Amino acid sequence: MSATSKLRRWFGALVAASGLSVTASLAADAVLISNADVYTPHGIKASTDVLIRDGVIRAIGPELWAPDNARRIDATGMSLTPGFFNGDTHLGVEEISAIESTVDTSSGDPRVTAAMKVADGFNPDSILIPHNRMQGLTHALVTPESNAGLFAGQAALITLNSHGQQILNDSVAVVLSLGESGQHLAGGSRAVAMALVREALDDAKDYAANKAAVRRGERRDYALSLQDLNALGPVVSGRKPLIVHVERADDILRALKLGKDYGLKLILAGVSEGWRVADEIAAGAKAVIFDPIHNLPDAYESLGARLDNARIMQQAGVKLIFTGMGWQNTHNAFLVRQSAGNAVANGLDKLAAINAMTLNPAEVFGLKGGKLAVGSPATLVLWSGDPLEMLSEPEMVLIEGREMSLVSRATRLRDRYFRRLQAHSR
Amino acid sequence: MTLKGLSLIPLAALLLSACSQPVKPPAEPDDAVEARKPYGSTYQVPSSPVTLIRGATVLTGDGRQLNRTDVLLSNGRIEAVGANIPLPEGARVVPGNGKWLTPGLIDVHSHMGVYPAPETINHADGNEMTSPVTAEVWAEHSVWPQDPQYEKALAGGVTTFQVLPGSANLFGGRGVTLKNVASVTVQGMKFPDAPHSLKMACGENPKRVYGEKGTMPSTRMGNMAGFRKAWIDAVEYREKWRAYEKKKNGKPPKRDLKLETLMGVLDGEIRIHNHCYRADEMAQMIDLSKEFSYTIAAFHHAVEAYKVAPLLAQENICAVMWADWWGFKQEAFDMVRENLALVDYAKACAVIHSDDGIQVQRLNQEVAKAMSAGRRMGLDITRAHAIRWVTLNAAKSLGLDDRIGSITAGKNADLVLWSSDPFSIYSKADKVWIDGVLRFDSGKPGLTPTRDFNLGVLNPEEDRP
Repeated sequence: MSATSKLRRWFGALVAASGLSVTASLAADAVLISNADVYTPHGIKASTDVLIRDGVIRAIGPELWAPDNARRIDATGMSLTPGFFNGDTHLGVEEISAIESTVDTSSGDPRVTAAMKVADGFNPDSILIPHNRMQGLTHALVTPESNAGLFAGQAALITLNSHGQQILNDSVAVVLSLGESGQHLAGGSRAVAMALVREALDDAKDYAANKAAVRRGERRDYALSLQDLNALGPVVSGRKPLIVHVERADDILRALKLGKDYGLKLILAGVSEGWRVADEIAAGAKAVIFDPIHNLPDAYESLGARLDNARIMQQAGVKLIFTGMGWQNTHNAFLVRQSAGNAVANGLDKLAAINAMTLNPAEVFGLKGGKLAVGSPATLVLWSGDPLEMLSEPEMVLIEGREMSLVSRATRLRDRYFRRLQAHSR
Repeated sequence: MTLKGLSLIPLAALLLSACSQPVKPPAEPDDAVEARKPYGSTYQVPSSPVTLIRGATVLTGDGRQLNRTDVLLSNGRIEAVGANIPLPEGARVVPGNGKWLTPGLIDVHSHMGVYPAPETINHADGNEMTSPVTAEVWAEHSVWPQDPQYEKALAGGVTTFQVLPGSANLFGGRGVTLKNVASVTVQGMKFPDAPHSLKMACGENPKRVYGEKGTMPSTRMGNMAGFRKAWIDAVEYREKWRAYEKKKNGKPPKRDLKLETLMGVLDGEIRIHNHCYRADEMAQMIDLSKEFSYTIAAFHHAVEAYKVAPLLAQENICAVMWADWWGFKQEAFDMVRENLALVDYAKACAVIHSDDGIQVQRLNQEVAKAMSAGRRMGLDITRAHAIRWVTLNAAKSLGLDDRIGSITAGKNADLVLWSSDPFSIYSKADKVWIDGVLRFDSGKPGLTPTRDFNLGVLNPEEDRP
């Protein structure tokens, strides 16, 4: 993006932002948001003030003092949360799903599986980014899909910032598919998939310990390419998380055993039947990434899908990270909050639901912030009401204290045609 | 009650039964015409107690919000709506204080039963992708009555839904409107005397499916040519039948199931539900309908309906839309979250739909999103108005607004009692009635038996949750 278009974008953000009275603000300015329901990691503080300066949350409490030149926002009746996070998206690597030239999510080459970094195909000018950002999504995991092999590649951690670097970590985890997808990729049996994965992990360990010998040609052949084995190095040493897609209870248990046998930092994704083995997940996985709205037996591996999956796992001590809603988890990644709201409607503690879109992914993926706490980056969303209600709209989206534009291609289309409809009805 | 219930037995079934007709030789002209009548429904309204729902906040579906209002159900119908309705002797009382009552929700675009769960090729019976014109196939002949999705939709307040064939073909086949009741046969779910529908599809899907096979259509102009050719055949076929019916005797034309369906459209008996995303294509389809003198009931998906909303209003065509789906193909690129609100603003008929097993469970939330987007841009949209998008407007698109879609005396007693404001994400259906019969009660799991599929499928001792 050129500097001028960056400027235009930023200027556009200032003039078009929110229904609140807006004075041009810079990140360095102080902002006092008063009387909001403030969602801290440990509780919802009713009618509380939050002071932001230099892009950082400076104070949280009743009737806070702010410098005279501070921008003041009366947020009575509104809610303030950290920006939301979606744990499984193709943001930036999938523009129009049916147009292959705009989709960079999977490898077609068996030599490039674990080595594929989705970040290398990331498009920061994707129109999906402003669309989701203006709806309160500030961070996401961008995940590859398994295609040429069981290992899909490396997931990226992004911020949906309108300026500066969006990719925060271009290799935050390696993704692996087991379950039905793994069975299919392995040629028709879960057992073969497990054998292939064990072989790959053994090879990765062997390669890591014998790189010099491999270079001298004094080592046996490996099933995966050297770049794939390189990518798996930090996984088998337990430094980088391995995200494993599994749905059925026994597939989950097999993944957990794999994690234990190899000392992996394991994150499970999908987990339709997680509730059946919640204690085991709590003991063996760092976190689960899933859509809590999923309750249909839409595959034989998810016969146990149910709406209180989130509640049961959370009560067992599993760390939850949400994605959703449904298959629109990329184009409408912001709808993760609708999935979260439905989890609450089905028994999940509300704060646990908010944390599953903020604090938990921040902790698991090493993201600074993800919480509304003094000293954290002011990456916040001011909601017109309860943040999980579909009738609530973002009044203001801040990323590190900077106010984001509430304009997207869709709002431009809306405005164009609304003007025409108004003219027509006159 | 039982007598009134009888009136719901489909007329077609009576006409087709042997004893209800005078004895005629089989080749009589009337029989040939009768034989074209659709298969009948066997659904009958079970008896149910007279029920008084007291003191709920009522969203009537036709634009009104009535606070602290009573609704009386009797003989499967809504008997009365008002304040302080006296309790008839022996009537059951359902306290509605603090709760909200809406008409049963209607999903006019569903593939439940034809694309059931689990999604396997063995079960996928919704798209006859072997020829671009398959007006002869009927979705009801694919519907699996044991699909575990229905009861999830019922728990979300859906009482009526239209099952459509998929959109691979220019003419995908007939749709069917079903009541969300448990039955071993699809006939037992069919909405008695509901108009048949015909699914048409413009745009990317037909041209992709057949273009990839190297056959026509592979372009949008190919789509149009395919539509026109089929209608020309239908007009000719209709003339043959007209001539035969005029003559009163002679040999009837050989039935052609494909053209029979198209003729039903030309005769105004079958309603067109047209999958169409782009504004310009909607205008083309309207021109097509004028060339062959038929009407279009609704454009489905209609992602660009906001661009031609005044045209839809003028032509009295409903736009059946999602709240926010987009981006999965080029023709779904220009989505705006305000689509329903803008179509509604132009005084056209806005309808929400799911097309999805997850969204059908919470159409109230889909309406909430569409309303919220409209309000945010400054349009004044009340709950009482927006609920119409999933009730009365939906019923209108199906040709059933004389029977369902609003809480007014005389209509079928299809109702949902919500735990709280149905526009809240925390609200759930407490009770769902279909024709006055309580079919779902959040406090009584198992009130309606779960579908066969769920029995012991996860744990032999239990039903799938």
